[in-house]
Amino acid sequence: MMKFTTRAAVAAVAAALAGSVFAWNEGGGEQDEALHLVGDPENGRDVYEVCAACHLPEGWGLSDGTFPQLAGQHPKVAIKQLADIRALNRDNPTMYPFALPSQIGGPQAIADVVAYMAKLPMTPENGVGPGDDLEHGQKLYEENCVRCHGANGEGDNDKFYPRVHGQHYNYVVRQFREIKGGQRRNANPEMVEQVKNFTERDVLAVSDYTSRIRPPKELTAESADWKNPDFE
Amino acid sequence: MKTVKLASLSLCMAAALLATGAAQALDAADLYVKKTCIACHGKDANTPILPIYPKLAGQNADYAYNQMMDIKSGARSNGQTAAMKGVMHLVSEEEMRALADWLATLQ
Repeated sequence: MMKFTTRAAVAAVAAALAGSVFAWNEGGGEQDEALHLVGDPENGRDVYEVCAACHLPEGWGLSDGTFPQLAGQHPKVAIKQLADIRALNRDNPTMYPFALPSQIGGPQAIADVVAYMAKLPMTPENGVGPGDDLEHGQKLYEENCVRCHGANGEGDNDKFYPRVHGQHYNYVVRQFREIKGGQRRNANPEMVEQVKNFTERDVLAVSDYTSRIRPPKELTAESADWKNPDFE
Repeated sequence: MKTVKLASLSLCMAAALLATGAAQALDAADLYVKKTCIACHGKDANTPILPIYPKLAGQNADYAYNQMMDIKSGARSNGQTAAMKGVMHLVSEEEMRALADWLATLQ
């Protein structure tokens, strides 16, 4: 216990000192290991139990954006974010302890849990924005986001680009601000460059538009009342 | 007749009071899960996910309430509070009070 606490403290201090370190996708270490393992969703269910306390058994997070939807997210995206949070390359103090090996396990457990999350059906009723600037949002999306996140917001597993359709509006806004403002140190530098001249109105409009792009039907739960039978 | 009415009225009131009491007790345990306290502080409020996070079971109710209030408002921002601040918009003052009172009753 003591040993661990000291290590955590050292890691936290190191992170504070390294506060200006930016890294999009350097790979290496556990991230690479997990990426090359075949995930076992059955064991992933057991690993996911700790995640379910905040992201819910359905993987839908909270529609107010406190916690993002994880259901349906690309495995490589989820591996990268988990590894980044664990390595203190993405600051997330609330999530940090849950990304530790003591909670979630090693590379195989990570491969398993992301395989499980990817298979969960997405919520049909994610949180959306006010809907008062959607034309502007659509224009921005088409001009700036399509190349990486796709015409339908589907992202790209192989390139670590997240699925953004169906994500909660407030969460998208928060990440957008942090990516643009440089607080999210593991952001893709191409995106940081792409959105550097976005105004606050632009951020809100494009996030609202994005949150309203519907994921394909086959990835979505039939009803917002769906409960994950694995956790009944 | 009047006595019967009064008696039934007081019975109703007693039932309502009992129901409220039960609902409050239920609420706090439910809030503890729904507001995600459980994720870090453990199922029994006594086995936190990190040894540097506090055990809450049996904690003095006013102390717990004041810490929650201060972390939510930002008046307290030291220690591990950064991990908790992000979820505090999920709880109202009334809910923090109920949680604190309930936590104090745990072993």
